[in-house]
Order: sequence, then structure tokens, then C-alpha cells
Amino acid sequence: MAETKVEISDPETEFFASKKETGHEWELFKENVRPLKRGRNVRLLNHALKSHSDHQKLIEDIDEYDGDDPLSPWIKCVQWVQEAFPPGGECSGLLVIYEQCVRKFWHSERYKDDLRYLKIWLEYAEHCADAEVIYKFLEVNDIGKTHALYYIDYALHMEFKGKVKSANEIFNLGISRNAKPVEKLNDGYKKFMVRTMRRSKTVDDQEPKENDLPSRSFGTILSRGDNNNNNTGRQALGQQAKKTKLNHSSKAPLAVYKDNTTGDQTEMDKSKPEFGSWLMLGGRAERNKENNALPGKWAAFKVPQKPIVRTAAASTSSFEVFIDEEECTDEGVEKKKSETISPSSSNVLPLNDGREIKKETELLRQNPLRHFPPNSYLR
Amino acid sequence: MASKTAAAKDIITLHGSAAIVSEFFCYAANSILYNRAVYPEESFVKVKKYGLPMLLTQDESVKSFLSNLSSQISEWLEAGKLQRVVLVIMSKATGEVLERWNFRIETDSQVVDKGVSREKSDKEIMREIQAIMRQVASSITYLPCLDEPCVFDVLAYTDTDVAVPFTWVESDPKLIANPQMVKLHGFDTKIHKVDTLVSYKNDEWDEEE
Repeated sequence: MAETKVEISDPETEFFASKKETGHEWELFKENVRPLKRGRNVRLLNHALKSHSDHQKLIEDIDEYDGDDPLSPWIKCVQWVQEAFPPGGECSGLLVIYEQCVRKFWHSERYKDDLRYLKIWLEYAEHCADAEVIYKFLEVNDIGKTHALYYIDYALHMEFKGKVKSANEIFNLGISRNAKPVEKLNDGYKKFMVRTMRRSKTVDDQEPKENDLPSRSFGTILSRGDNNNNNTGRQALGQQAKKTKLNHSSKAPLAVYKDNTTGDQTEMDKSKPEFGSWLMLGGRAERNKENNALPGKWAAFKVPQKPIVRTAAASTSSFEVFIDEEECTDEGVEKKKSETISPSSSNVLPLNDGREIKKETELLRQNPLRHFPPNSYLR
Repeated sequence: MASKTAAAKDIITLHGSAAIVSEFFCYAANSILYNRAVYPEESFVKVKKYGLPMLLTQDESVKSFLSNLSSQISEWLEAGKLQRVVLVIMSKATGEVLERWNFRIETDSQVVDKGVSREKSDKEIMREIQAIMRQVASSITYLPCLDEPCVFDVLAYTDTDVAVPFTWVESDPKLIANPQMVKLHGFDTKIHKVDTLVSYKNDEWDEEE
């Protein structure tokens, strides 16, 4: 018999013979696939669909979690998003999930000292236009205060803003509270001191700062040269000072701390041009609006939820469109799955609308605490 | 052909299995011709088969072509001589092969030689076939659009000791160069095992049309 069998040798025969399987994601998630005129590479398609379904699963896990550490499925989900979107970016939904996670647990006594929870906050802060509001929030709400990381990140941020005195205070606060790990905090503080000393001795920048913005003073100083000087605390202006009047540099060691002597800290904040100041001023103005409009704001807090729920509803209806009548039995199961996801996902990241994610991401970047009640971060 | 046994399995004979496979091929071919728009939608009619609405062509020439095909395949299957059936879709204008639906058949030679029968639940076979049919219909998710008039042909790979029947000619394999290939589900009657694969052209951005 064997002699009559023809040896067929072609790619298809080889493929048949190989134990290679084509994944079936393309069929399982076919409603999610837009056919392309030129066809698709099935391997890539399966990979992408699997990835999408992994994401869905992680979100389900958050909703269905029943154990004693409800933060853990959130961490897994955040990790997944970070790995799936190495550059991050507006469409990754990273900011949205950070925000939902931190907001879910901010009341929770249990997580006040949880390092993972703190890290979510700190990563969130890194992505925002003005992280200071977050650090302040954490302080007010006693979150993360036993961890050196909090003080280090906070102090570094203030140093970057040129508020070296504040940075110094923050380090000291952390040290006095014995934040752990102690060596890390001390080490961070030492390095900070070195940088500060260096800064005050030479007016050359160690770090490039872009501050060619004209100094803004709200009635504090008269002449431009003096402006530069009084507004130090930031290094770029230190550099300007060097260019214009070297004799000012003799004041420099004190000038570093000058932001304190001119009185009210917050007033100085407004008067300093900072990195991306136009952006931040906008954010700040927005926050100030909330301060002023306090009584009226409670009603408005319902509004942010709507975009999320609406999207979920929209995605349910789009599933319905694609269900084949004869495949009711199987599709019914899939459909049910998507239905159970959507109502409970008022809690969780809406996946399907990239535009909504982008919008929300930008809003959060400007105002990371926009969904929080105003009295939670003001004192 | 099928008689119920206590274990809810059905007896499958060589003849019966050949009938199942050739019938499967007929419905599969129809489904492919419909889903890939080789013939216009209107020329098909819906029937119930395998628990699904299946489309069958009303075009007389296609009908008779497929029916001759089916009986020939059945004959080869009973002799255990059929290895491969391939439905090839080609451009009407250029004759270029655009898509190949490849069905590999493995026959239990013991059944052919000794005339024994096997057992398997009819229902299960039907479920397996159903899964394949579903995949055929869903394959638009990845198959390139066939937006030109196409024709089809059927190739059969048999053992070398098979005489070429009158209405068939020997042919080249009509392969696609550097194809994309997707393995679909298969089914098994315990006498004939059928695996399915579709291969299609890698559509390049810089190609005309």
C-alpha cells in the first residue's frame, strides 16, 4: 500500500504534518475583528485578540475578587497595562486605571501603609502635570507616611520645582518619622544636600533647566535683575543671574532659601515661572475654582461617572449587532459574558472607547484629584 | 447506517463513512462558494444541515459538477484511495490561484482491508462538522477580500494506482507561493479522518489590484 502513496511536498502538507496549531482566538472573538480588504495575518490577529481577552479577564478578576486582599487584582491589572503599553501614552488607559485604583482604596485603613498602594499613587503622580497636589493629598490622608519612598519622591519633586527649602523639610520630616528603609532615606537626603551645596557654590547648572520664560512677579520685585535673584530657589534663574550680574551670586547661598523669606509660600508659587507653567497655571486655576465654588460642587461630582457608564452601554449594543441568529446558543454565552462585564465595569476601566480614555487621561493629567471630594485634600 | 448501541455510539461502516465525508465535502464546497462570493448570493438557497442553516447552490452546472464530484469522492473513499481534496479559487481574468481549501484525509486501512466497522456517536461527528462549517463562515475575519470575479476547481490527490476517471484530468497542484495558512477544525468518523486547512495569498501593499 505504501508504494502507491504519493509523496506530497508543499507548504500545506508540511503545515498539516506539523503539530502546529492555529489558535482559535480569531473565531472566538470574531465580533471584535474588522475584516481587512487585504486579509490579515492570523498569527498576529490571534495574538492581539488574546491580549485583548487577557485584559478583559484581568478586569473581570477585579470585579469578581473574593479574597482578603482586594488590592491585588488591581496591581495585576496595572502591571499588565504597563507591560502591554511600554511607552504608556494617552491611549493606554494607564492614568485612568491608576486613578480608579487609588480612589477605590483611599478610605481604606488597611492600605494606608501598603507599599504597593503607595507606589500606585506615586506612579500616578509621575504622570500628572503637577504632582504636588498628590503628595499633599497623601500627607493629609496619612497615606504612605511610613515609607521612605514617599518622602524621597516628594522631596525630589519639590527640588525639581526649585522649592529646595520644602524639599529639605520633607526629607527631615521623613527622617523624624523614621520612614523605612532608613538608609535609603538618609542616602537620598545626603545626595540632595550635595546637589544643593553644589548649586549654591557654583552657579553652573548641574541639571539643565529650561526656564527662558520671563519671570513673573505679582508685585514683589521691581527691577529685572532683582527679580531673577528673588525668584531663585530655581537654578535656571541662578544661571541668568550669573549672566547678568555676577555680584548677585554672592547672595546665592542665601538666595537658595529665599523663597521662604519673601513670605507666603503659595504666593511665591504663583509668581514663579516654572516648567510648563502655562499648563500648570491652568490646572491650578481650575483647582482654585473648585476651592471657591465649594458648595456647588457636590452635584457636579456625579457627572464624571457618566462617560464611563455610557461607554459600557455602547459596547453592549455593539455586541448585539454582530450576533448571528443561528449561532444563538454559543453566542448567547459570549453575549452574557459581555453583559456581565459592562454593568459592573462602572467600577473599572472602559476598554472599548479609545477616545474616552484619551479624554479622561488628559483631564486626569491636569487634575488628578478631580473625582475626589474637595475636602479630602484641602486643609 | 446507524443503529443505536447501549453506549450511545453508532456503528459506522466504510460505506457510511464515505457517505458522511463526501456529503460533508459537498456542503463545505457550497459554503465556501457562498461565503467567498464566487457565485452571487441569490443563487443559493438555505437548507438545514448539521444543525445549521447551510447554503446550497441552485446553479445547475455547479450542482451537477458537485454531485459528480461527490460520488467520485465517495467511491475513492470506500477504496481507501483518497488522500486529499482541494478546492481552489482562482482569478477568472488571470487564472492566478488566490485561495486553497485543503482537506486532508486519512483512512483506516484495516477497515478497508477487512471490512470491519467502527463506532462513534453520530451526534459527535455532526458537532465536529458543525464546528468546521462555522469556521468557514467566520473566516472573513482574516481572508483577503476577493473583489474580482473568481472561478473554482477541485483537485483530488489519490493513490497512484488509481485510474484517472473520464471526467478528470491530471493537473499541476496549483499551489500558492508563500501562502498564509490557517488550520481549521477537523472531524473523524473513526474510519476517515479529515483535517482542514485554508491557504491564501499574502496580500502585499505594493501589489496592483
